[in-house]
Amino acid sequence: MGLSTASARIRSVQPVSLGLLLIAAVYLGFLSGYPGGFGPLVAGIAVVFAAGLRVGAPRGVAAYAPVPVLVALAVEAVPAPLGLGTELLAGLSGLAFLLWLADDPTRTVGGAARSLPTVAVPALALGIAWSSALFLPAGAVPLGVAGGLLALTLAAVAFLVGRPAVFDREEG
Amino acid sequence: MSEPDSRSLRWRPLTPLVLSVGAALVFAAVLTRNPTPLFLALPLLLAPVAAALAGPRRAPSVRIDLSVEGAAAEVKLQGSVVPEPGVDARDLVLEVDRPPGLVGDPAPTFDYSKGEIRFHAVWTAPEPIITEVDVPRVLWRDAVGLVERETTASASPIVVTRYPPELLRIGAVRLERTTLLPGETPSRRIGESGEFHGIRPARPEDPPRQINWRASARAGRALANEYDLDKTGDLLLILDARPTPLGREVDARLFAIARAAAAGLSDSFLRVKSRVGLGVFGEFLDVVPLSTGRTQRIRIETALRHARLASVAAPAERCAVAARHRFPPGLTTVIFSSLSDDSSEDLSPYLRRRGFPVVVLSPSPLPIIAASSPLSGAEEELAARIARLVRRDRIARAWEDSPTIDWDDYWSLGRFVEFVRRPRLRRA
Repeated sequence: MGLSTASARIRSVQPVSLGLLLIAAVYLGFLSGYPGGFGPLVAGIAVVFAAGLRVGAPRGVAAYAPVPVLVALAVEAVPAPLGLGTELLAGLSGLAFLLWLADDPTRTVGGAARSLPTVAVPALALGIAWSSALFLPAGAVPLGVAGGLLALTLAAVAFLVGRPAVFDREEG
Repeated sequence: MSEPDSRSLRWRPLTPLVLSVGAALVFAAVLTRNPTPLFLALPLLLAPVAAALAGPRRAPSVRIDLSVEGAAAEVKLQGSVVPEPGVDARDLVLEVDRPPGLVGDPAPTFDYSKGEIRFHAVWTAPEPIITEVDVPRVLWRDAVGLVERETTASASPIVVTRYPPELLRIGAVRLERTTLLPGETPSRRIGESGEFHGIRPARPEDPPRQINWRASARAGRALANEYDLDKTGDLLLILDARPTPLGREVDARLFAIARAAAAGLSDSFLRVKSRVGLGVFGEFLDVVPLSTGRTQRIRIETALRHARLASVAAPAERCAVAARHRFPPGLTTVIFSSLSDDSSEDLSPYLRRRGFPVVVLSPSPLPIIAASSPLSGAEEELAARIARLVRRDRIARAWEDSPTIDWDDYWSLGRFVEFVRRPRLRRA
């Protein structure tokens, strides 16, 4: 395979992941219920500003580019009305955010494609959660099970994040 | 409590940010009884764990090849990084440090492919230099940028030496001998320095490898092998590492230039099988004893790379006494000294009195001082003229004791080479 001419010093926008994030965030903003088009406006500004930071700002400042996107997504998701479509869109926004992170302009192109094994796990969990919400009957028992699973997941994540050596495999 | 292994998995700063936003969304979902934030939180909470699981489970090993090319002031660094099978080279992050003393774009250019990263950088040495390019730091980082690991690299630092090109030919100069017989003379080294010459009674300092065990058994007494070495002469290089009134920064630059020139001189003479010794005189005299061959080249190069300026100026006589203890008299001796104060001028008379014919090569501080001068116009010109006069006076006084070459163009040693090629003048 020949060497690619991609240089780590060339910072370029990757339009696919950026477009996905923009569409997902703006649509979530639209569904969030803020009056006067405030939601889509905030989402659009946050994503464009973050993309500009990543491409144009010095490295130290560019590292903070995910912050406005995360804040905008959180601000839109919290007041969003109940609904399966809204929930699915919120989850997809999270996945689009991960893909956008993977297309780091300071690294080699194709980051989004290489991140698929990482993004696949949350995508699978999201699929299971959403289909459970869609197909399971409403009631106290399923809610309790879901709550228990959520607490378990949080505890597992907290444990794993606190002990990164768990991911190390002993050399034979 | 044990220290965490630096090659273990590490969370990048992005991970706490993502996790904290995810956790905040979960709490917001519970408080508002709205599941929508939960669905947004799910990818954020699971992504770091998924990234850790999808990556290599131990520090991946990489092979790093480094080479330095270029002539004179140009330093071209080229290299490649090949990870172990199963690791995508595009997930590796390289950190290449430009050595101090070189200028130019610090960031190399990278070419990535799936199996290999190639990189190259072009730097410039503004002055002669001997320095080391460290092995690049290679990290594996997941594509999303949430986790990273150090890799295990198999490579060693590479030495960059740049000195005036005239020194490449100086090895042809005939040096003074310190041994009685011209031509073949006994080598103090074993085997690699010369051919087998004969057998002699063993001395207590002979290493076991030099003992001829068969001959010893036949003769009934310890006999040792003696080897011959064809050499043209001996050379001693002495670097004055004492501080001067010029200040730490100027001293350090002049000392770096002197170290590079010493490396060039030793290289050239060792190439023609001369014996070369080195002394670095700061508070005490640190020496590399006379010897020849590739090993000696490495010894001198290492000593020069690690040589540092002393913080205390020792009396010159100490250097002469120590040199007489460590080296035979009559050695052609080159002193590298900036001659910036009276004490640095003392070195050559003391060494001459101890029997060392001395040539002083003095890197001039004037170009460095002029470059950082805050003056301008007529004032600067006047200051430069006064500085030149003072310098000329110092060189003239130093000439009274021993031949002294003023070295003001750091990339040319033509005057020095011309001088040492004339033995009569040198002896005078």
